[in-house]
Order: sequence, then C-alpha cells, then structure tokens
Amino acid sequence: MSEEGIGAYLNPAQMAKLNRLALNSRYVVEGTLAGRHRSAQKGASTEFADHRSYMPGDDLKRIDWKVLGRTDKYYIRRYQDETNLRVYLLVDRSGSMNYSSGGHKTKFNYACTLAAALGYVVLKARDAVGMYIYGEKMDAALPCKNSFNELNNALKVLQGYKPAKGTAGADVMHQIAESISRRAMVIIISDLLDDQPEIIKAIAHFRKNLHDVIVFHTLDPVELNLDLKRGAEFEDLETGERMIADPRTMAKEYKDLMGTFIEDYRKACSEMKVDYRLVKTDEPVDTFVRAYLEERKRLSR
Amino acid sequence: MFLWALTAAAIPLMLHMFQRRKTVVTPFPTLRFLKAAQKRSSSRVRFENFLLWLLRTLLLLMLGLAFALPVLRMTTGSSWLIRTRRDVAIVIDASYSMTYELDRGKVWDICKDAAVSVIEGLLSGDRVCVYVAGDVPVPVIEKPTTEHATVIQAIRTLSCLSGTSKLDETVALALKALEQQEGRREREVYILTDGQALPWQGFRDAAKKEEQAGADKALISREQRDKVSFFALLAGAQQPDNACPSNLKVSPPLLLAGQSARLNVRIGRTGTAKQVTVAVEVDGQERARRGVTTEANAESSLEFAIAGLEPGIHVAKVTTPQDALPIDDEFLFLLRVRKQLPVLIAGPQEATRYLKAALAPGAADDSVKQIDVAELDSVDLRDYQAVFLCDVFPLTGQAVMRIEEYAKTGGVVIVFPGDRADLAAYAEMKILPAQPKGTEEIPVERAARPLRRLPNQKDQIVNFNLPLPPGAIPTVALKRLMSFGDLQENGAVLITAGDGVPFMTGRAVGRGRVFMFAISANREWSTFPLTAFFLPVVHQLIRQGAGASVQPPHLVMGSNIPVNEAVPNYREDDVIAMPSGAPLPVKDNGNRTFVIEELAEPGIYTRAKAGAAQPEPVLAVNTDRFESRLTPATTEELSEWTGFKKFLTAKDPEELTRLIGEYRNGRSLAEVFLWIALLLALAEWWFANRALRTQTGTTEKMTVDLSGKVVTT
Repeated sequence: MSEEGIGAYLNPAQMAKLNRLALNSRYVVEGTLAGRHRSAQKGASTEFADHRSYMPGDDLKRIDWKVLGRTDKYYIRRYQDETNLRVYLLVDRSGSMNYSSGGHKTKFNYACTLAAALGYVVLKARDAVGMYIYGEKMDAALPCKNSFNELNNALKVLQGYKPAKGTAGADVMHQIAESISRRAMVIIISDLLDDQPEIIKAIAHFRKNLHDVIVFHTLDPVELNLDLKRGAEFEDLETGERMIADPRTMAKEYKDLMGTFIEDYRKACSEMKVDYRLVKTDEPVDTFVRAYLEERKRLSR
Repeated sequence: MFLWALTAAAIPLMLHMFQRRKTVVTPFPTLRFLKAAQKRSSSRVRFENFLLWLLRTLLLLMLGLAFALPVLRMTTGSSWLIRTRRDVAIVIDASYSMTYELDRGKVWDICKDAAVSVIEGLLSGDRVCVYVAGDVPVPVIEKPTTEHATVIQAIRTLSCLSGTSKLDETVALALKALEQQEGRREREVYILTDGQALPWQGFRDAAKKEEQAGADKALISREQRDKVSFFALLAGAQQPDNACPSNLKVSPPLLLAGQSARLNVRIGRTGTAKQVTVAVEVDGQERARRGVTTEANAESSLEFAIAGLEPGIHVAKVTTPQDALPIDDEFLFLLRVRKQLPVLIAGPQEATRYLKAALAPGAADDSVKQIDVAELDSVDLRDYQAVFLCDVFPLTGQAVMRIEEYAKTGGVVIVFPGDRADLAAYAEMKILPAQPKGTEEIPVERAARPLRRLPNQKDQIVNFNLPLPPGAIPTVALKRLMSFGDLQENGAVLITAGDGVPFMTGRAVGRGRVFMFAISANREWSTFPLTAFFLPVVHQLIRQGAGASVQPPHLVMGSNIPVNEAVPNYREDDVIAMPSGAPLPVKDNGNRTFVIEELAEPGIYTRAKAGAAQPEPVLAVNTDRFESRLTPATTEELSEWTGFKKFLTAKDPEELTRLIGEYRNGRSLAEVFLWIALLLALAEWWFANRALRTQTGTTEKMTVDLSGKVVTT
C-alpha cells in the first residue's frame, strides 16, 4: 500500500461519489461549533423553541413584547441552538477481524475503509470526527476534529495497526462510553464476536449517555453461510484453538446459530433505538455507504 | 469362489478406519458456532454415516452374492446329497373348452406338447402316468412307467373330448396311482388345462364340504396336498372371447301342422358385450336370422317364430358366428310336427257313439279308432296319444295292466263310467284319480248344473284349462252322477257340477295322465255329450295329455334317460344310431323298461325301424354348455380352492419349463441380488447426495439490503 491516510482507503472516484452525502444525527447533539445539527442547548438561531419567565440580567432584546402586551408579564423567547456533529468511529481490530474469504478484504481492512468513507462524509459536512481503535485493549483514542488533516492523521494511525490476537470489545466500549462527555454520534464497526450480552450492555451504555449509536456489524459472507465445500481443520483466529469439521454436514445448524446471533443483536439494537446494519465484506464500501446514508436521509424526513 | 468376494463388504469399514485425514488448516473467525453446530448435528451425522456405511456394505454384499450365482432349491433336503427319482402324474383336461383356438394353436395341442416336454425333461428311471380329465377320469397310462417313449406316443394320439371335465376326480385318481408305487420318490402332478374356472369347481365344492364334514372324507387327503408337488399349466386365453347358443325352448311343446313354433334361444357370452348374429336353420335351410347385443359375461335371450312347418320330424339348429371355440357355435334340436293326434276309443257302440261323432265327424278318420272292450287285450296302446274308456268295466287283468303301463309311460287315459259294471269292477284299476263310491239319480228340479273349473292348488300336478269363450257359463242337465271317494295320490278335482260336486277328476300317473268323468259318454246320464263344449273339453284333454309326454327337442351329452322319454314309440327291435354311425347302447332294465346309458356324442341320433327304408331323426344331442363359460380362474383362487401346499402355476409352456427347472435344479438368485444391488446403489447415491446437499438455514432466509438493513422472513 503505497498511499497513506485517506488515499490508502478511498480513491478519488469513490470520494467523488461520497461528496454530496451527509450523515445526520437522529437525536440532539452537543458540539463546539455552530452547525446544522440540533443542539441540546438553547441559544441564538431562527428556530423558536419556547418561552421562559424573565430573570434579572436577561437581555432586554429577548423579551417577547407581544406577550407582555397581552398578559402584562415578562417572558423571554428561547430559540433552538444548532451545533455541529461530533462523530466517534470505533474500529475493532480484534483477531477475528483478520478473516477474509474468497479474495475479499479482511474484515479489519473493510472496517478501516468504512471508517475512512464515513470520516470523509462527516468532514465534508463540516462536522467533527474522532476515532477509537481497540483490540484486546484500547489501542488509540483520537479526539474529534473537523479537519481533513486530522482525519488523514487518524487514518495513518489506523493504517499502522494490524488485527490483534484476542478481543476485549465490551470493556473497551464501556471505557469509551465513559470518556465521551457530551452527546455525540458513535459508530461501531466490528464483527461483534465477543460475549454478546456484554456487548449489548456496552452499546446500552452509549445510549444511556444519550449518544446516537450506529452499529456496522461487519461479517464475511462465508461466516454467514459456511459456504465451504470440503472439510478442514479450523483454527480460531483469536484463541488459536483447532477443530476438524465437515462444513457440509453442519451447514444448516451453523446458519441457524449465526442467524440467531445476528437476530439477537438486531432486536437488542432495535429496542435501544440503535441503528443496526449488517455489512458484508463482499460489498463495495462506497456503494454501501451511499445506500446507507441515502436511506438514513429518507427516514429522517 | 465368488463367495470370497463377500469379504469386500468390509471395505467401507476399513476405508473409514484407515482413512488418512488430509486436513487443511483453515483460519476462522471463531469456532464458537462451529462447535455448537457440530454438537447439534453430531447425532444426525452419526446416523447418516451409519446408514451410508450400511448401504455401501450391503451393496458390496449383494454384488458379491450375485457373482457367486447362488441357487435356491425348493426340493427336500435329501436331494442335496443324492439325485432324486420322481414319480410323475400328468393330468390333461379334455373338456371341449380346450379346443379354444389361440394364436399359437389350440389349447389342447399346446397342453399335449407341454405334457411331452414334461416327460422329455424326466431322467431315466423316473416314472410317469397320464390321465385325461373328462366327464369321468380316463386313464391313458394307468400305472407309472419308465417307458417314456410309449407314454409320449400315447399322448400324441389323444383327442379332445366333447364334454366337461372334473379335474378333482382325475387328480385324485392320479394321486392314487402314484401312492401305489413303492420306493421313496418325489411325487409331482402336472395339471395341463386352459385355466377355465369350471373344471376346478370340484376342488372348490370339496373344500366347502371339507369345512363342514371334516378332512376325513376329502377326495384328496391333506397329506397328499402337503407332500406332493403340483404344477398347473393354465394355457388358455387370459381374456377369452366366446358366444354360443346355450339353451333353447320350443313352444308349444306339442306342435301340430299349421302351428307356428316359437323358439326362445339363450345366448351365452364370455367376454365383453358384443353384437351377435343368430341364425335358425330348419332342414338345412335358413329360416330366420337376427342380431342380439349380448351383455358381458352373461346370458341373453331372443325369440324366433318358425311358421309353415310340415308334419314330420325336422332337424333344426341355431348357430352363432364362428369364433375361437367353434364346437359350441351350433345348437341342434328337433321340431316334431304332428298332423293329428291318434286317439283310441274303447267301449260298446252305444257308449262311444257321441265321442266318435265328436272326434271324427262325417267320414271315417284314421286318427280316431273305435274298438270293442274285448280288443283292449290285443291292441298296441302306444300307437295312440289318448285312450278313451267308455263303459268298459269290468276289464280283464291283462287289459288293466296294459292300460296302467300305457299311462305310466306318458299316455292319456280318459274314463267315462257306464251302466255295465258295478262299482267293485272299478277297483281293479289302481290308476284312477278316485275310486267311485256310488251313483246317484238326480231329480229333474236339480238337474241343471253349471260346470266350473276349480283353480289349481299348490303342488297340484295335473291341471286342466277349460277352453270356453269369455263370459260363457257351461250348464249341463244331469240325470245320473257318479260320486267319488277320497282322491288318490297326485289326484285332483278339476271340474265341478254345482256346489263342489266332482264332475271331472284327474291324476298324474308316471309320465301320463288319467282323467275320469262322473257321467257316461252318452246321453243316458247327462246332456253333456250334446252340449257345445263337449268337443272342446275332449280335444283339450287329448292335447294337454299329449303335451305331457312330448319328447324333448334336444338333450345334453352324458344324459342317462329312459328311452321312452326321449324316443317316441320305441320298440325292442329299433336300432338307434349315434351321429358317428355306431349303434347307441340301450340297456334293458327289465319290465319292458329301456334306458339310454349315456349320450356320448353330440349330434343327431337316428332310428332305423325294422322294415323301414329310411332312418328317422329321433334325438338332438348337444354339448353341455356350462363348459362354454370360459371365465378363467386366478392363481390365487386355484391355490385357495385346491389347498395344495406346493402349487406352481404357469401361463405358458415356457414358463412351466422354467418353473420345473427352478423346482428341480433350484432358482438362481443372481438376478435378484443384482436388482437389490441396483436399488441399494440408487439409495446410496440419493442418500449421500442428500447428506451433502446444503440445506437452507436461518441466515439464508435473512434479507440484507444494500444499506445493511436486515429483514428476517
């Protein structure tokens, strides 16, 4: 890979496809700059929010004179504050993410590319993007910045990581949830092959802190259907454990188990109002991101 | 040697045990789901693997067994060690249904050839006897012999018979012949027939009787049925097609010149419903032809009217179009047409005057003869259809005996009392309907009496129809009237003269009839001879009586009947010739009774009277048309009816030869094993592929759209 930063993951044509897209939060967020996302704060904008009683020290310009005329009482007009979006990309580099089949990218590579694409879209909308990279532990925490240089730097850091041996996704996610102090958008890009209840609890932690959470459950097609034609000795990418199995005789049971695994995540996310998406690594990233963002835009209308 | 190949059955197991596991290490994100899936599927996979192993082992076993060419022997255990000698009985069905024509020839010829093949298949020292099943069993080679060439020669000269067959009796006789032989041998009985159900009827009836009466009285013992091997060749058509005239009725039974004969013809049919053309020939000339749609496997009937028949005996036949069984396509019968009925009137002139005047008015008539009482001793009564006895008592013992014999052999005797004899004289004649009790003078005021015919009673044999125009009430004036005692056996009062007073009585005696009036035949006792209905009553008596003794228009082969019942006016010196020209044996049973022992040939029988120039036809004999019902029996039915333990049936001689070969030499199981191997191979292929076929799981039922949204169906 000769390119570095965003160029390592997205080519100009892909970037051009993503140019006019935007990632909007479904909830109010808290940013540092004025932007097009609804803020939790009330402030100066054209969009009326509500009234409150006048308090000494308030700016007299904000008194609603029409209400005073009608009621002889002083009320202050309050307006919806609008702020920029802070997006945190959580990229899983656990051992299981190092899997690829049939000439596709590894799941980790796919996750990096997806992170690059999303970061690009976020920055193009003048929002800020930060990144957390984790495997067996928190590997890197890159703060939110609304600069392409910062994104490039973050991606360079990401580029420097390889998939780890094990995983500690749930613990790290709890840690991240604690570290993000203001309402933001959290995007988790992972295969979620960890202790499922713990992962769900971690996601719930994000939601508890009022973050808008998106889960990109990244899986290889073979992982989904066990579409292997001959028996083999399988080696666990995280534990190194081996077992001999004939996929043809157990495909149905495997698919049922995997289906239940996915369905449990989907239901849990749905209950927590978390946007859950299943991403297969055989799909082009730009196509997926474009389809996802357009659908999100359509649903938010 | 190929049995060593059975060890190949161990190959699948050995392959499994010594299989080198050439596995490729494949990295996988997590083994968690693989382990769980393997745990879930292990019992199913184990079962499928076991089934596959079983199928493959069985497949190799079957192939090994097939190439070893195993043979299944059906004979007893001793024959494994030494060559078994056989006693063989061949029973050939010779009923006329065996002449059924198939594409490859007559069933009879096929069966004879099969018999020859069976004998040629025997080894020297094996003994064979041959029986033909007809109406009675006919031994061709009675005792089992080792002279096979002689037996074959005898079979080649056999001819089919024209009657039915009784296989049960013939098989029983053949078994008896086998049992009488010494030595421990295998016994085999071959029944060569056309597969028609009828000849096996005896077995079925015997099975029913055996159920009721027990096995002790069975024609073929249980031991015989268990120990002897039976082979049946059912060589006839599987779906036979036959139409034939099966029966015929002529009415009226007594035909007089100028009358039309009505023929009711029954057409028997075996096979599907079909249009059949039926023709009637009289004296070689076709007189009628009609079509009838016969029902499937049923009888149909149709009527013909033949007019303009001259007096005499006419040879006639009903024919159906020729089919595969031509022997039953003709049905012969005789039409006996009489000019007049000859009548004898015995008695004094004054007693018979009115009767003679009524029967032969004007000029003298040959058919009516009047004789004096004394002549009754000498005249041959058999020349007359009816004999009137008018005031003839007392009679001589000779005359009484002759009259009684005449009545018993089918004659009609009509008795009019008179003044000559006292009541005791009537007692000499035992055939009267009732013995007279007395005579009564009728006063003038009670003289007029209406005549009334009494309705027929149940079980009344003698009947009389008073021929009167509608509404007419015949009345007579009585002067004197005879009264009667109790009616004799088979006697009845037929006409009363007011208040139930018997006027005419009648009685059936043997094949004839005796009628007796309560008045004389002249005007001394009543005005009856002067009334308008005297003549019709007398004519009716003659005709009705004559009808009772009419000879049948046709007979069935094998009948055993008195000559007088079949041949009119038979005399000892008459010679009856069979259709082949041979004289028909007539047995003298004594007391002037002659019996035809058996009508052995179908066709027209003729009688040559002593001194007569031309023989006249006297009998028309047909085959028993039961045999024409060709409905075949199934193997299951035959097995059930016969109760044979070892009973093998073949549909053609080739199959019979194969069965015999399998029975004696054993049946090769190679083909069976190969078929099983093929089925096992197919099952293995299907099952192995089924096991490998990917089954749809939950993830494949999930729909993931481009945006990653998951929808579970």
